[in-house]
Amino acid sequence: MTADTSSSTILSSREIKLHLLGLVMLLGLLGLWYWFSTGARVVPTLIELLKDDDPSTRIVAAEQLGQVGPAARTAVPQLLSQATQDGSQHANTTAAAALKWIDLTAARRVMTHFVSRLQDPDVQQRRTACAVLGSLGPIAKPGVPPLVAAARDADALVRRNALIALASVGIPSTPIGVALLDGLRDSSSLVRQTAATQFAFTVPLTQDAVAALTPILNDPDKGLTTLARTALDKPRAGDAAHIESLGMMLGHSSARDYALHQLAQLGPAASDALTPILPLLEDEQPLIRYLAVETIGGMGAAAKQALPALHQHQDSDPVVHAAMTDAVSAIESATAATAAPSAKELPR
Amino acid sequence: MTDLAQNSSSRIRMMARLGAWISLIGGLLLPWMIMLAVETLVRDVPFPRAWRSFTLHLFAPGYNFFLVGVLTALPFVILAVIIIVHLGTASAHNTLIAYRRALGLFSAGLSMVLIAGWIHVEVLIHPDAQGALAYFYLPILLVTILPLGYGLGRALAKAFLPRLSL
Repeated sequence: MTADTSSSTILSSREIKLHLLGLVMLLGLLGLWYWFSTGARVVPTLIELLKDDDPSTRIVAAEQLGQVGPAARTAVPQLLSQATQDGSQHANTTAAAALKWIDLTAARRVMTHFVSRLQDPDVQQRRTACAVLGSLGPIAKPGVPPLVAAARDADALVRRNALIALASVGIPSTPIGVALLDGLRDSSSLVRQTAATQFAFTVPLTQDAVAALTPILNDPDKGLTTLARTALDKPRAGDAAHIESLGMMLGHSSARDYALHQLAQLGPAASDALTPILPLLEDEQPLIRYLAVETIGGMGAAAKQALPALHQHQDSDPVVHAAMTDAVSAIESATAATAAPSAKELPR
Repeated sequence: MTDLAQNSSSRIRMMARLGAWISLIGGLLLPWMIMLAVETLVRDVPFPRAWRSFTLHLFAPGYNFFLVGVLTALPFVILAVIIIVHLGTASAHNTLIAYRRALGLFSAGLSMVLIAGWIHVEVLIHPDAQGALAYFYLPILLVTILPLGYGLGRALAKAFLPRLSL
């Protein structure tokens, strides 16, 4: 080769440039491969994978569709079918979990389907129903009363699954907290450990939970003792620094659903984070808007300043819209209740 | 240049070209090959099933094998650029310098492959909740290893390479 013999260096400057250009082009090709294999572009392929005979393929496809979010709306019928009809519980739960990121109305349909299964004579159906309701997270809020009833089921695994589901739903926090506290006194050690696990890792720690968990530190069950200690080491529900850090997490797209879900369970104590929550009413993800509305509604009178924004906002998603109406009523009635005693005190 | 010098410089030229592309493509494929090898050799999963599972999880949230491959490949991209620029610009008339550079770069590449391979195998054989963090620290570690491996190779070259005067 001429270049081989004529150049004074191992590679000629032209060859160096060509190699570097080749490297850049290869990296560009990798980028293109990633672009074509992710986002809304991959939805048709994933819908095909949902029809696969192998459950693990259907599970992975559902997980990826959930990641795509509302842009995967064309997959809703197939995901609904997988969530409610598939013989694999893991396939049911992953499809349900995906639906909550894609279409809240479809997720609520899954909830309705499985709430009726909580009283099924077949124990496996009841266990699956609890697991699927839990995978829907806060979207299964209307399913909390039947789940609380399921937490008193004769079967220990149903009770365990019901407690996990209740902790995943998280709102309204009062009945869920009561059910979890009851779980700490369950006859089954598995259920007691599950209840303690929820306080340790999932739900915020209330004063009632602290009072119930403290005696467990002396329990002969070492596993339960460790979980109780982990829970008691957590920041308390009203801890100002914890609320501030949750408020900061709202700015990170990967953490804001977790942060909002935690704040939604704190009630009026979350009002310190109202300012960073308000812009999330305009978020493109319906689940984030729903969580933002639930969090604001849970603050009661402390969220009075959010009323104009809530009145002004017309959400296209019916589930978010309904939650918004409930939140406005909750704030207005709480404001009226706090204003009434002070009005009575005026003549004095 | 003598025939010997010309042959020598052609060999290094070929090494520079191949080295850059082997570094880039090898760095990308290394974690994927290890994943498939661990599935088939350690976990006794038949290769077609291991391959299917691998392709399914390539872009799956929580797995993203593609990202794992890209993260591991980044230091090898840097190595490829260094091979092209550093070895490629060595004088074709004094192949001793080029050989020293080649040995330094080979040593750097080998150290990086050994460290990356060991970490990938460890993460896959002993999985835990924090295992994935290794994938994020691995590029930093490999970039740190690069100059150390290069220095070691250069030192070895200085000590053992015959002092050719071509």
